[in-house]
Amino acid sequence: MRSKFFLIAGLLIVLSMILGACQPAPAPEPETIVQTVIVEGTPQTVIVTATPEPVEEVEEMKAITLNFGPGDIPTLDPSLGTDTTSIQIAVETFVGLTRLHEVTNAVEPGMATEWSSVVNEDGTETITFKLREGISWVRYNGNEVEQVLDEEGNPRMVTANDFYYGILRTLEPETASGYAYVLGMTMKGANDYNNGDTDDPATVGVEVIDDYTIALTFIEPAAYNPAIAGMWIAYAEPSWIIEERGDKWTETGFFQSYGPYTLKEWIHDSYITLVANPFWPGIESAPTPKIQEVTWLMLDASPAMAEYESGNTESVAVPLADMDRVKADPELSAQLVVAPDFCTYYYGFNTSAPVVNDVRVRRALSMAIDRQSLIDNVLKGGQEPAQWFSRPGLAGAPTMETHPDLGIKSDPAAAVAELQSYLDEMGTTAAELDLTLMFNTSEGHRKIAEAIQQMWKDTLGVDVKLVNQEWKVYLDTIKGADTPQIYRLGWCLDYPDANNFIRENFAPNGSANPFTDGKPSGGVFYENDAFNELLLEAAREQDPVQRVELYAQAEEILVVEDAVIAPIYWYTRNTLTKPYLTRTFSTGGQEYIEKWDVDMSAKP
Amino acid sequence: MGRFIIRRLLYMVVVILVVSFITFGLMHAVPGGPFDAEKALPPDIIKNLEKRYHLDEPLVMQYLRYLNAVFIPQFSSEGLTGDVEDDSLVNIKITDTFWIKWMNFGPTFSSRSRTVNDIFRQQLPISVQLGLNALFVALILGIPLGIISALKQNTIFDYLSMSIAIFGVSVPVIVLGPLMIWIFAVTLKWVPATGWGAQPPYVLGVFPSDLGWKYWEKALMPSIALGLGSSAIIARLTRASLLQVIREDYIRTARAKGVKESMVIVRHALKNSMIPVVTILGPMIAALVTGTFVTELTFGIPGMGKYFVTSITNRDYPVIMGTILLYAVFLVVANLLVDIMYAFLDPRIRYD
Repeated sequence: MRSKFFLIAGLLIVLSMILGACQPAPAPEPETIVQTVIVEGTPQTVIVTATPEPVEEVEEMKAITLNFGPGDIPTLDPSLGTDTTSIQIAVETFVGLTRLHEVTNAVEPGMATEWSSVVNEDGTETITFKLREGISWVRYNGNEVEQVLDEEGNPRMVTANDFYYGILRTLEPETASGYAYVLGMTMKGANDYNNGDTDDPATVGVEVIDDYTIALTFIEPAAYNPAIAGMWIAYAEPSWIIEERGDKWTETGFFQSYGPYTLKEWIHDSYITLVANPFWPGIESAPTPKIQEVTWLMLDASPAMAEYESGNTESVAVPLADMDRVKADPELSAQLVVAPDFCTYYYGFNTSAPVVNDVRVRRALSMAIDRQSLIDNVLKGGQEPAQWFSRPGLAGAPTMETHPDLGIKSDPAAAVAELQSYLDEMGTTAAELDLTLMFNTSEGHRKIAEAIQQMWKDTLGVDVKLVNQEWKVYLDTIKGADTPQIYRLGWCLDYPDANNFIRENFAPNGSANPFTDGKPSGGVFYENDAFNELLLEAAREQDPVQRVELYAQAEEILVVEDAVIAPIYWYTRNTLTKPYLTRTFSTGGQEYIEKWDVDMSAKP
Repeated sequence: MGRFIIRRLLYMVVVILVVSFITFGLMHAVPGGPFDAEKALPPDIIKNLEKRYHLDEPLVMQYLRYLNAVFIPQFSSEGLTGDVEDDSLVNIKITDTFWIKWMNFGPTFSSRSRTVNDIFRQQLPISVQLGLNALFVALILGIPLGIISALKQNTIFDYLSMSIAIFGVSVPVIVLGPLMIWIFAVTLKWVPATGWGAQPPYVLGVFPSDLGWKYWEKALMPSIALGLGSSAIIARLTRASLLQVIREDYIRTARAKGVKESMVIVRHALKNSMIPVVTILGPMIAALVTGTFVTELTFGIPGMGKYFVTSITNRDYPVIMGTILLYAVFLVVANLLVDIMYAFLDPRIRYD
């Protein structure tokens, strides 16, 4: 037995060295943040009775917990957001001049109550926005949400100057905003100012007419201009706190905003809590919040699922691995909602590379993909087979209801015929074709690629080699001369218009079609003047029905006539929601929690 | 001994410089940049971003700028300003308007309002806590298991202990973690599934100020899951080493002169057999306390681990440099401690 004692003594020596500092020291009191419970303060008729009302009648504060996925939120600064989580916080804490409906993506009045448009002599369009009055800047002071006061002690109101400051700040080269280019492409003078070609803010097409009127001038009259004006990069920003705190102004305790919610607490890498802003008046597109506090955790998919099943979160995205189980479970499957997500998954063709430089090969490959089978057997998330690029539901994009036969469909017989005509001309066989498909290293992309590789083998008899590269290396590869014959990519919306999809990707110098010195230099290597003309015309077209027709023609050129890409599927989101949470499902990626409600008494 | 430690610490400076040089070279040699994305940003926008982070300068300049910010103490008229560009890990106040500031590890490209030092201050303590817990589990399980199986070689105890060890090695956290969560959090509801119980301020900047159930209900599962794998390594090593030592001549001598068996094992055999175990503890400590990617992801712990991985996939240069240098420092210091332990365990080892 003594040996055991010595052993433990020895262990303790080893450990004492490491844990020595672990002894309970007189620890400083942890900083406590006092939480006040904000009870919904609607005045109620008080019935005076002899006995007081029971205390339990006080409602439990409405609070919910959601999940963002692993990793910290990149930024809460509206000028800097480029990812869905950053933008989610921005749309809840701020409201733009216009605000998109989260489901229909229709442009609705936001901070602007009305606007009027004038086309100027030089072909630019000036939109004058009338602002809502009496909206104050707020912050969370550790106890409650309070109004921000100016030097004279009066509440600071959101004015046209704050919007002017926000837009200019986004465009300043020193701000180095990633999405400044969206304003750069659409607003007059914005690009030159953002490039540093001029440092005169007066050259930018934004003008404060009075405290509650602001005019924005756009390069060309376009249907999507009011939507651009409502984007997070054009929100009003609190110049005083940004100048005082610099980049740290978005931290807990400093952050100021004016939207339906404001920041309560942001513990980096752990969680963020937003608290309802009692000074927000509630407007149709952003009503007064019913839920007082929203917390987002930052968990990976499967721990998030565990927290949902433990009852600690109210809603969760279903991990692919749990999909079959969720569908089979009677309780969970009743909580499952499959909603559209505005993203498109596609394979691009390097139209300058051998073999795929012939449109018949590209069309054959595209038609040989059985998209429905891929969705049913590999993806399993209820995605929709994509017949063209611009996700239906976007303004200007064709829909399956109006254009059921548009674009490319699975058609093995036609695929074989197309390929045969190419093979006959070249005097070769399908097995001899040298084709490579590249994707970025990921289990999901590999599964899709292998399934499609098999479809091509079965239908066309072609052997396609699969190659994968690490993400950033891959992004470099597909932007230059080494772009493989076939490569994978996806696209999600920035603003809900077909222009953001088809034109910003495949027009000259689009995201998937880089140009150098006026010539295609990477990606799909695509140049078709008729196609480009059509996109310009569609952007300028004011009649919505006619616009859809123009985009439908452009899509037909892109995926059938020239078959520059093979669209694979349109994304969906698979979400589980507890039955006591009443919610909407956004299509643009950002939820409007102010439209949700939770029944706390039904929460177990 | 003192001279030895000083010499080793001087070597450390050289090692860190070499590591920084190689890391800097490698990360810039890899294709792709921090601002490449699925949505290609226009070249003008990239230019603005690169200018902001001085990535438009020649690489030599960037490296010198980095060395200067990290290694050379700077003089400043103000202390902690809360400014992202001027955030040093060490701020020494000489007078109100004269400060010495040292170790500015730079910004993070992934978050505008945070610096690499913020990550060190907020995420590292959590990883250190988890790592030390796991190390404790590894030692408390590994060493006794190893001793039992060595002393009772080829008996049922040996097989049982080594089976546990094999289980620990072959069932990784990525399997064990979700399994534990499923059993203890979702089904039995004994503990929460995710999160970390300790909140700043930490004792000595690292240790939790309250070691109550609030801390352990969240720390228990990940500590055991993470420690189990390491305990298996320690158990196998202890067993092998002890078996070898027991056959040494001096053990036979000790037995021959009539020393009690328990004394022989503890005094003579065990102490000497700990040398390989202590050797592996060096790198093991460094690996555990600087963060473990899978464990932290599985249990939703806001530690350092993911920064080692995501910084590289994102080409977040300052975070890559910061995490690698941090790991190097921990490794060098842990190995120094190991060398000091050698002298304690084997009196024949002398460093002077």
